[in-house]
Order: sequence, then structure tokens, then C-alpha cells
Amino acid sequence: MFKKNWFLLLLVTVMLTGFVFGCGPGEYEDDVAPAPDEDPVDVSVDGPVYLRKTFSWPTQIDPAIGSDFSSSTALTNLYDTLVYPNPDGSFVPHLAASWDISDDDLSYTFYLTEGVLFHDGSELTAEDVVFSYERLQAVGEGFAYIFKGRISAVEALDDYTVEFRMEEPFGPFLSTLTRLYIVNKDLVMDNLGDGPHGDYGDYGTGFLNDNDAGSGAYMVKEFDVATQLTMEKFDEYFSYLDPMAPDIFEMIGTTEAATVRTGMMRREVDISDQWQTLEAFRSLEEIEGIDVARWPDGGQLYLMMNTQIPPLDCVHARRAMSYAFNYDSLVQDIYPGTEQAMGPVSSVLPGWNPNVYQYSYDLEKAEEEMALSQYAGQWDQYPIEYAWTAEVADLEKIALMTQAESQKVGLPVEIVSTPWMTMIDQAGSIETTPHIMSIWVSPHYGEAGSILEAKYHSSNAGTWEQTEWLLNDQVDQLIEEAMRTVDREERFGIYMQIQEEIVELAPTIFAYDNMERHAYQSYYINWPQAQDPIPVMGYNLAARFIQVDPVKRAELLGN
Amino acid sequence: MHSDTREIQQRLWEKRKDNLRRAWYKFSGNYLSIVGLVIVLIVILLAIFAPWVSPYPEHRGAFVDFSKSMEPPSSEHLLGTDAVGRDILTRVIFGFRFSLMMGFVVIGLAAPPGIVAGLVAGYFRDTWVDTLIMRITDVFLAVPPLILAMAITAVLPPNVFYAMLAVTLMWWPWYARLVYGIASSLQNEFFVQAAQVTGASTPYIIFKEILPNSVSAIFTKMTLDVGIVIIIAASLSFVGLGAQPPTPDLGTMVSDGAKYMPDQWWMTVCPALAIVFTVLGFNLLGDGLRDMLAVEEV
Repeated sequence: MFKKNWFLLLLVTVMLTGFVFGCGPGEYEDDVAPAPDEDPVDVSVDGPVYLRKTFSWPTQIDPAIGSDFSSSTALTNLYDTLVYPNPDGSFVPHLAASWDISDDDLSYTFYLTEGVLFHDGSELTAEDVVFSYERLQAVGEGFAYIFKGRISAVEALDDYTVEFRMEEPFGPFLSTLTRLYIVNKDLVMDNLGDGPHGDYGDYGTGFLNDNDAGSGAYMVKEFDVATQLTMEKFDEYFSYLDPMAPDIFEMIGTTEAATVRTGMMRREVDISDQWQTLEAFRSLEEIEGIDVARWPDGGQLYLMMNTQIPPLDCVHARRAMSYAFNYDSLVQDIYPGTEQAMGPVSSVLPGWNPNVYQYSYDLEKAEEEMALSQYAGQWDQYPIEYAWTAEVADLEKIALMTQAESQKVGLPVEIVSTPWMTMIDQAGSIETTPHIMSIWVSPHYGEAGSILEAKYHSSNAGTWEQTEWLLNDQVDQLIEEAMRTVDREERFGIYMQIQEEIVELAPTIFAYDNMERHAYQSYYINWPQAQDPIPVMGYNLAARFIQVDPVKRAELLGN
Repeated sequence: MHSDTREIQQRLWEKRKDNLRRAWYKFSGNYLSIVGLVIVLIVILLAIFAPWVSPYPEHRGAFVDFSKSMEPPSSEHLLGTDAVGRDILTRVIFGFRFSLMMGFVVIGLAAPPGIVAGLVAGYFRDTWVDTLIMRITDVFLAVPPLILAMAITAVLPPNVFYAMLAVTLMWWPWYARLVYGIASSLQNEFFVQAAQVTGASTPYIIFKEILPNSVSAIFTKMTLDVGIVIIIAASLSFVGLGAQPPTPDLGTMVSDGAKYMPDQWWMTVCPALAIVFTVLGFNLLGDGLRDMLAVEEV
């Protein structure tokens, strides 16, 4: 017994010594240079050129289902849309070579580019556009809500002409087409499973869950739904495909800091995810050949308050929370280089209202609002549950800060670390939605209406983008009115009115205008969208524009 | 008569003292046991007096100071600070509270039902009672403990209470198993048969004859188990199913700090070492007790 204990103690000591000294700061970089007998890094310049990027998972590649950041990225690479967005929020012809709009704004006729091939070699025709729209509406998830109730019919006039008829004028219609991905009808029809859609079975949701039926510059090579999506270049792509674009684009489902960092040091990860901490980005930036690209993505971090449950069903309680939030510390200490948001719309998004009231960090005003509330004096009975995404370390800092600040005025906040998958589930009903959820939301198309509708129209309540459950008739009517307005100036005027209305109701703490940050291998990657970003989620990672130089990569590894 | 009783009591007391002295002699012969005892005492005392001995007691709760975030160990913060500027030493000391509470409460809750089940099954060995109880035990033992606890806490909301419940549920069968072995061998002993012959009731035999003879084994196992329960609790916290922030908890601290490895290593390494220190203490103490009480079954 005696001997065994001694051995154990010795073993533990040796292990701990190794652990502590193996991880000292500054020594790490040396450790990473691969010794000959270690896992060899691929330094060859022959063979396929890879682009690997990390993402927060899961990724859904069905265009009628996926809508978050990684899903949008995959869809943009696998599928094409009728129009393509520009950095300034306008758009250019893509699958549609041109279009006519009727005088009453109720009919749009698109003339398709001829000779566009799907990945299986068949040609993309007007029938596929009709099918894609009908499929999106029938399945009804993802971006379906954008078009819901607005389009009365979609009809193929001939092989290359398709007409969209509106129920009523739909102002941002052309912008929203960046979210209508065209699928290969024949391929989907050949792969129907059992389902609730009559002759259409499951509408191919089983098949498209892990296969693609697109015409995009990349096609699915392998999809391990739980961890990784591998896409390979489609050489017969109809539009621009840079000669130096990667042969293989791999989306890797991890945001774990040490993995990402090691991967980037070994040049096995080319672009990091955007969910790393400030400290992690700083240390990544110090590695040779790596820069951090930053751009405003048109979205914000929203601390969404469930407006249907006490005490946050009282507007004064919500305003108190808005005043008790330390915006200054957020933009200085946690996200330096960003700015506090002004209202629900990011300042880079067309249609933003620059004159809207901005809540500031002011504990006195918070207390004044608390005194006005029906819950005055009984705050202790209503603990406020605050859920933050467990995968994102920075969100814990914000949660802890909110808790500490709220405590100063006597608002009891309980913070709960919650996995992203669970948060999506919780958002599904008023009862399961926590009082506060901190979530980034980005526009789905390049104008304010996209955010306003997603975040505050009742039809989108209960998705992860809207856990406020605002359910306000007046806001709904204003949003609908804006959507009906075809004249851009007039529409933007209504957007501004909606923003004022919402700030008044304070359903959300508007934290800061998000800067998307991605560390990338700037020495061997030329990433044009990082210099001139497109304000539509996912489009900045269209791999067909990104140039990867394998020779330079090998050079870095040879050093 | 009166003085006789007193004399007997006196002698019994002498005898007891003698036993204690002998036990202590045996225990202290292996000085690793003393090390274990000292560690356990230190941890318990730190946990009890945490608000007075920790340098920044206010850092245990909702507190942020970004100007001091992620400072490496220094004279001001002996174990450094975390991502929001809280002193890690303070949080480790308060973290002992949660770990110990978890250990003691879980063992305290899991042992009694396990012991009763084991005693009953052992006494009624080879009857249907034995089969029923021990097969249920086997079912629980067949599921890997951490997986079972994770399954339970995943269904229920993540908090301390459910974490304890989950670990308790998976822990009682081990006591049933241990006590079953002892009870089933003791039921054939003469003193049990004698009790049966003199008409003692079944509960009397189980709890007054068999149980006292199992105590040393149970006690040793409990001491050894505290360490393991602390590890399991830390694992649950590590995957986000245990204590919720800002409650200081060693497992959560390791998990949070891992996001900042390897540059801010102190955020992970310090609480991890604290777990090792505590568990090592309980294991050494348990080993010492086992040697002292000459228990073989554990």
C-alpha cells in the first residue's frame, strides 16, 4: 500500500509539472512547429487547393430550412439566386438576365440566363424557379416567411421566362430574391420521401438535408451533418469563378479556441469563425501571415426581452433594464472598436433612423423607471432569467456584466449558460422563452425592413430572431404598410417611424452594431469581400471570389 | 453496586481510548494518510471560513471589473484573474464549498438507501427479494455513471439541485453492492444464528447485528467516494450541467478558462489543480482509513 501511494503521488506530480510548464505563455508557438515524427502537415502544392473555415454548428443546407450564418454561407455556395447583392445594398442580374415590372407593381417578369447547368448536368429552366418557390412555401421554414402571403402566383411563361404575381405591392421584393435559392426540380422529384405534402411527399427534405440540388459554384462532396461540410468546385459554373478559387471548400463545425488557433498556426484552418474572443483574435493576429478582417455586418447584438411574461411585460421594467445596461463598458472593454447601437437597426443598413432615441447607461433613470412600474417594490419575486449562448465566451462576460449592473438597482438577474440548439428550442413558445436572450441577428436582405420584420412582426415571433414576442398590432400594421410601399424614399420614411415606435416600447436592449471579425491567412489568401463587404449574411463567403495561393501557403509552412 | 458500574464504565472508556490510540498508531504509521487528513481539513476549513480567508470575497457573486481582467498571477492576485476581472483564488476557495457540499450531500443521500437495499438483499440471500433488488442494482450499474447523470440533467433544467439528484441516483447501487457482499456472508455467522434462535425480529437482526459489522467498510467507502463524486460533479459543471454562474464552481471555472487556453492558462490550471488537490486528499485519507480498519471489501 505504502509503495503504491508513493508511486501515485510521484505520477501526479510529474503530470502536473508537465501540464503547468507545457502551457506557459510564449512557449506555445515553438511547440507547434511539427517535429518529424508528429502528424505531418501537408506542404505539397500539387493536388486540390483547400479553403477551410470554422463555423458554429449545426449547418442546414436545405434552402427551405437553413437561415443562420453557417447555413446561409453553405447555401450561397451551393445554390444561385435570380439576383445577386452588391456591397452598397443594390443588386445585379444573376440567374435572371433581366426583368420587367408592371405599372401597377403587381407583376414581375424575369428572363432567365440561358445555359445555366445544375450539378447533375441538366439545364436550369423557369420550371425550376416555380418549383423552388412553391417548395419554400410548402416547407415553410428558413427564409420562407419573407415571401409569405405576398406572392399570389409564380408561373413559367416559357422555358426561360417566369412571372411572379403579387397579392399587393411588395417594396423590397427584388432585394429579397437574394434568399430564393433555385433547386433542381427533376432531381428533387426523383428523391422524394414519405411526407405530408401529398404528391410531393416530403418535398425532398430528406434528400436535401445532406445532398444539394443546386447550380452553385460548389457542390456537396461529403456532409457529416454533425461536424463538417465538404464542398468541391463545380467547373461548369455559369458565372464568374476565379481561377485561383479553392478546389475544395470545407466548413468545419467548431469554435473551440485552442482547436481554431492550432489549426491556424498549422495553416490547416484558413479563416476562423467570428465567435472567438477579443483575446483570441489578438493572439491570432500576432501569428505571421494572419490578419483579422473586420466589417459591420448590418446586424446587432440584441438582448431580447420576453415582453409577455412578468416583470418584463411592463414597459417600465424593460426601460429600466435598458438604462441599467452598461453600453460604455461593452464597446470599450468587450468589443473595442464598435459603437453602441442606436435603435433596432444597424447604422450601416439603408433605412436606419439616425434621430431615434438612444438609451444610455444611467442607473438613476433605471430606478425612476422601476418606480413607475406596476412591479415596483416587489422585484425580488420576479427573478429575471437571462440565457446566453454557451458556445460564445464573450456572451458570458456580457451576462455577468448585466447581472452585476442590474443588481446595483435591485433587479434580480439569474444567468444561465444555454447551448445554441437549446436556445432555438426555447424560443418556440412564450412559456419556454427565458426573460432575456442575447443573440446576434443580421439582415436577410440589404435594408432596414429585413431586420424590422424579422425582429418585430408577429408572424416571425417564436423564432430565434424574435424572442421578444412583441405581438403589437400597430407595429405589425406599420411593417406591412412599409412592405407594400414600392417607392424607396417613402418606404424608408415608414421604416424610421417603426424604429421610433419600437424604441418607445423597449422590447430589446440594443447593445452594439456588430462588427463581424474573422481571422484569416492574409499571406496566401486574397479575400475581396473582406475589403468591400456585402450587407447580406453569407454572401461574403462565396468561395468563388476568394483566391488561395498554395505556393505561398507552402512557403509559410517551410519557414 | 454503584461503584461497580462506574468501574466498568471506567474500564470500558480505558479500553476505548486504548483502541483509539492503537488505531491512530496504525493510521499515522503511513504518513501519506496524515497528508490526506491535513489536505481534507484544510479544504474543509477554507470552505467554512471562505468569506474571511479569501482576499476578495465580493468576487464570488455578480461582479465585473474589466480593467483587471485576465491578469496573470501576481502578489495582488495570487492565482491571477478571470475574463471579467474576478480573483481566481477567491473563487477557488468558494468553489470548495460547492464541491464539498456536492460530495457530502450526494454521499449522505445515496448511502442510506443503498445500505438498506444491500442489507435486505444480503439477509434474504437466494430468495426473490435478493433477485429483485440486486437485478435493479445491476441495471443501474450497467449504465456508465456520467452518461446517466448527463441524461438526467439534460432533461431537467440545469441547476445544482438536479445535478445532485442525478449523481445520487447513480450512486446508491454501489453501496447496495458493497453491503450485499458483507451482509450475505455475515448471515451465516453464529451471532446471527444465535439472534434468530432467541427470536429476534428481522429488522433487529439486520440493523443491530449485521449493520454494525459493516460500518467500517461503509465508512471507508464513503471517504473514498467523496473524491469521485467531486470529480463527477466537476465533469457535469464542465459540460454546463452543474452549478450556474456566477456561483463559483471548480468544474465551471476549468471549462470557462479552457476557452482562453493556452495564453491565459491560470484560468484553467488553478481550479484544475484545486480539484486534484481535494480529490487527492480524500483518496489518501480513504486509503489510510482502509488500512486502519483493515477493511478488505472496498
